Amino acid sequence: MATAELVLGLLSGGPAHGYDVKRGHDAWFPDSRPLAFGQVYTTLGRLERDGLVEVVEKTSGGGPDRTVYALTGKGRDHLTDWLTDPVPPAWGNADEILRKLVAAVRTGGDAAAFVARQRASHLRRIRELQDNPAEQDPTSPIVRDYIVAHLDADLRWLDGALDRISQQEVSE
Amino acid sequence: MTTPALELTDIEYKYRRNVALRGVSLQINPGEIVAITGASGCGKSTLLHCAAGILTPDAGAVRVNGQELASLSADDRAALRRTQIGVVLQFGQLVPDVKLVDNVALPLLLAGHSRSEAHVQALEWLKQVGIEGEADAVPAELSGGQNQRAAVARALVTGPSIVLADEPTGSLDSRAGKELLEVLVQAARYRGTALVMVTHDNLVAASATREIRLRDGVVQHEVVL
Ligand SMILES: Nc1ncnc2c1ncn2[C@@H]1O[C@H](COP(=O)(O)OP(=O)(O)O)[C@@H](O)[C@H]1O
Ligand SMILES: [Mg+2]
Repeated sequence: MATAELVLGLLSGGPAHGYDVKRGHDAWFPDSRPLAFGQVYTTLGRLERDGLVEVVEKTSGGGPDRTVYALTGKGRDHLTDWLTDPVPPAWGNADEILRKLVAAVRTGGDAAAFVARQRASHLRRIRELQDNPAEQDPTSPIVRDYIVAHLDADLRWLDGALDRISQQEVSE
Repeated sequence: MTTPALELTDIEYKYRRNVALRGVSLQINPGEIVAITGASGCGKSTLLHCAAGILTPDAGAVRVNGQELASLSADDRAALRRTQIGVVLQFGQLVPDVKLVDNVALPLLLAGHSRSEAHVQALEWLKQVGIEGEADAVPAELSGGQNQRAAVARALVTGPSIVLADEPTGSLDSRAGKELLEVLVQAARYRGTALVMVTHDNLVAASATREIRLRDGVVQHEVVL
């Protein structure tokens, strides 16, 4: 899971609390889902177990917030390897839109109305992302363009899907 | 209830035997920004040309600010088109060999404004769209994006109630297209002008507040964005 590697990346600038890791993640990906605290601590725990991070400071009697984590040499190597490998272009977990659309068609639901609502929702999100002024930091516009391009791809795919659905309705 | 800036009722249009529009109705409210989308050939341009009074529908009514185009004399219709409707096409349709400022001033001169007033307003609009520095250049000396900005200025200079834009970014690369879109939307907002953009580009459609989607000459859906 890439969250682990992102956490390594977030620690590569120096030791940090779990809280800083979460804040750092959310600043790197401001337009996507925030990282849950629970996930940060589970991930740090696993990374520590695997020797990729180590605890460098722990105030006695403190909760998890008092623990400071640092990248180990092994962790740095793992991060470098991760950044070297391209992502396999696999079709992974079935997308929720696809699940709903297939289910709508298969159950005799109003697929066209579903597509219309989904289009509206995607277009609104694109507008929100485009309305945001260009940010000064180097990666926010890159993240935003990525999301917009994928929303656009969804919309194109939905167009094709709707065409097929409409044609099937006509020929029935 | 406010009078719509544009109202189309049961519009039908045929090119000889090729039926392009099969009963399209829609309303555009004053100041509203609407995207007309749909696959190539679904009738978007035909619809826009009917709304602009460039094509006359075979059936149905076009009303601009409540005035039905077909009920007006040819002169009154031409005057209404000049003053109430601005049009931006994919390629600026500027007059070649004429300076940008004069291209933009043209609709005002046709509407009877004095030469000096037309000049002042044209310059102001060139500034609004960010190309005041190119006022004395002719279209051939400028980029596609600059020409489209001038086309936007020319469409808005008379203070129309509605601007109709057919693939306004269609001839531009993505960066110039994005800039032009911002200029167009901002100019329309600044002026309180209703804006109808025909586009097959989802990123352009996303800047509207409503989408009307056509399919095979009918409205497939309308959604608020
Ligand atoms: N000048 C024309 N002569 C004959 N058919 C035309 C003409 N212009 C458009 N059409 C046809 O009318 C239909 C709608 O075209 P158009 O309004 O240009 O669609 P869009 O702008 O959505 O691509 C299409 O089938 C197209 O082939
Ligand atoms: Mg067209």
